[in-house]
Amino acid sequence: MNDLIRSLVEAYGPSGFEDGVRDLIRPLIEPHADEVTVDALGNLIARKRATTGEANPLKVMIAAHMDEIGIMASHITEKGFLRFTNIGGVGSHTLLGGRVRFADGTLGIIGVDRMEDRNSIHPLNKHFIDVGATSRENCPVRVGDAAHFVRPFEARGRHLTAKSMDDRIGCAVAIEALRRLPADVSHDLYFVFSVQEEVGTRGAEAAANGIMPDVSIALDVTLTGDVPESRPMDVRLGAGPAIKVKDSGMIAHAGLVRLMRRRAEEAGIDYQLEVLEGGTTDARPMQLAGPGSVAGCISIPCRYVHTPSETVDASDVEGAVALLVTLLSADMEL
Amino acid sequence: METFELLKQLTEAPGPTGNEGGAAAVIESLWRPFVDEIVVDRVGSLLGIKRGAGPADRPRPSILLAAHMDELGLMVSRIVEHDGNGFLRVTELGGVDRRHLLGQTAIVHGTRPLTGVLGGLPDSYLSEKERDKAYSYENLVLDVGLPIDEVRRLVSIGDFVTFRQSLRKLQNGRVAGKALDNRASVTAVTICLEHLQQRRHTWDVIAVATSQEEETFLGAYTSAYAQRPDAAIAIDVTHAKGPGTNDSELMELGSGPVLDIGANVHPGLYGALRDAANALEMKIGTGVHAAGSGTDAYALQVARDGIPTGVLSIPLRYMHTMVETVDMGDVERVGRLLAEMVARLDDNFLGNIREELMRPEISIKNGRGRSVSSVSEDDGA
Repeated sequence: MNDLIRSLVEAYGPSGFEDGVRDLIRPLIEPHADEVTVDALGNLIARKRATTGEANPLKVMIAAHMDEIGIMASHITEKGFLRFTNIGGVGSHTLLGGRVRFADGTLGIIGVDRMEDRNSIHPLNKHFIDVGATSRENCPVRVGDAAHFVRPFEARGRHLTAKSMDDRIGCAVAIEALRRLPADVSHDLYFVFSVQEEVGTRGAEAAANGIMPDVSIALDVTLTGDVPESRPMDVRLGAGPAIKVKDSGMIAHAGLVRLMRRRAEEAGIDYQLEVLEGGTTDARPMQLAGPGSVAGCISIPCRYVHTPSETVDASDVEGAVALLVTLLSADMEL
Repeated sequence: METFELLKQLTEAPGPTGNEGGAAAVIESLWRPFVDEIVVDRVGSLLGIKRGAGPADRPRPSILLAAHMDELGLMVSRIVEHDGNGFLRVTELGGVDRRHLLGQTAIVHGTRPLTGVLGGLPDSYLSEKERDKAYSYENLVLDVGLPIDEVRRLVSIGDFVTFRQSLRKLQNGRVAGKALDNRASVTAVTICLEHLQQRRHTWDVIAVATSQEEETFLGAYTSAYAQRPDAAIAIDVTHAKGPGTNDSELMELGSGPVLDIGANVHPGLYGALRDAANALEMKIGTGVHAAGSGTDAYALQVARDGIPTGVLSIPLRYMHTMVETVDMGDVERVGRLLAEMVARLDDNFLGNIREELMRPEISIKNGRGRSVSSVSEDDGA
């Protein structure tokens, strides 16, 4: 599975510019879906129809977002340096000395205005990007061009590190689950590879309004409390996928949480329960869509979220795939 | 049923945001005799539908009355061990006023309900600086009195916690307790449904005890989408006067109902509620909000292709604590006003309020604008 993960995490796809990731995923899922479409916002939707002849099969929407955080050039100086703004939650403390790459392959180095006090961090607007240009005229980047952070995928035993585990690892889980699902399923499954999650869960909102799911499951990363002096949280790497109970944007459907726990226990899958005090996922707009859906989230515990070295544990990823497959393969009595 | 008894049953039922089943069960038993149909939807809202007396051969217009039933609560976020004892750390559900948590009694809804207390270090153990501050969630513990093994057996991360507080009578018709935000309004809707047993109304009434208002307005968004009503009213509590408040903006306990004017309120709904109050010779107060009302109206208004929405409020002191205080007279008057307003709705209502909105010379400034009915009289003159 590491080859799949590597190709996904190294791909270019800041929010709003997910085309490359979509082109990568589409051929991987087409053999396993009855229908693959792209909606007006750019969400990639793979539908696997219920085949068991139920009159009104449940519509189940599974969402993993394709987009990653990044930056966008907002101004080119006369000397050819870029000022930039953030795409999604980019922390200033993750920038200095980092590298970004634009859609056309242009590489940039992030520098910072003169620091008077090395103990304080400059805000984003006192950083610049150096692409090697010497003037506005010979700068290959234009205002509005987006870039992602550059950092190669590394597998260190079970620990996998990359710049966009959030949420290509969710995409990997969705792709792998789609491959492993039995040919015949009793629910109408909509695997949505969503756009623009990092800028307000926007893709999933539109996709959910189009699909009007009965049941919704987001696949995304969550924070952990297992590093020195971290904010206390009872989720750690390597203890299994986390079944979300609550985050700051949504409370998961209590019946769906119970069902996920039961399915995990029946299948012997280790799991954790997640109460996340900052952040939310595509489950929020899916829960709110139309007449409302039964919503929950399977989370992959991840250290250093929104830095270029997001780190997950391969066994948690494997557990997330197994949990999703067992959940979707069986009855959903809520 | 006596208003106190209604309030007592409704406020003492557990129904934290995201797990409203306990409150919904009580509401269902209270509403069932008054409505034609009860629906519990998949996001936890409870709907009581009472059909109107309009002609059977065409669809009747409907009005949705939304009172959220979820209450503030806590959720177990961590289980910690200390010398063999088990303690729970918690996080908030909805906007709990953290300063009030220390010393409260709570119920942990584990595999069985467990009574616990919210404690922290005694102040003699705290630094001068810490003594003046509220306990953070990292320092508060919820103690159910069990050793760690038993705690792990009975409690899971993500278990819901509600406050244990019975409703008490103060003097002068005032009552204090938990969850009066917003079970006071659920009580008012119940009183409205009871009044409507004796009143003819041509519109369908969709009473909704909404879920998860305190987090995302979930039940308001989804019930309004599913039911597609022609008009809606959110019933909620509003800050009441007391020492230290800005008295020019707030209403006294016992002076309600309060009608809101603001971005979430359609002037036609404001006018209809005001006309109904005039018909009852009931005094009303006016509340204002600039952008969001902080009520279900925020969500109801934008459902489907937009729903004309009003806001009706009950004054309340000590919001988001376990000693929220209301005047029972306000609760009863809000119920009676709702019933009057619903009974007065007729076939022309929607057309009239649309017409009124399109006439810039007719304003509802200071609540002294002309009413919907006087507009049609003027037209005839």
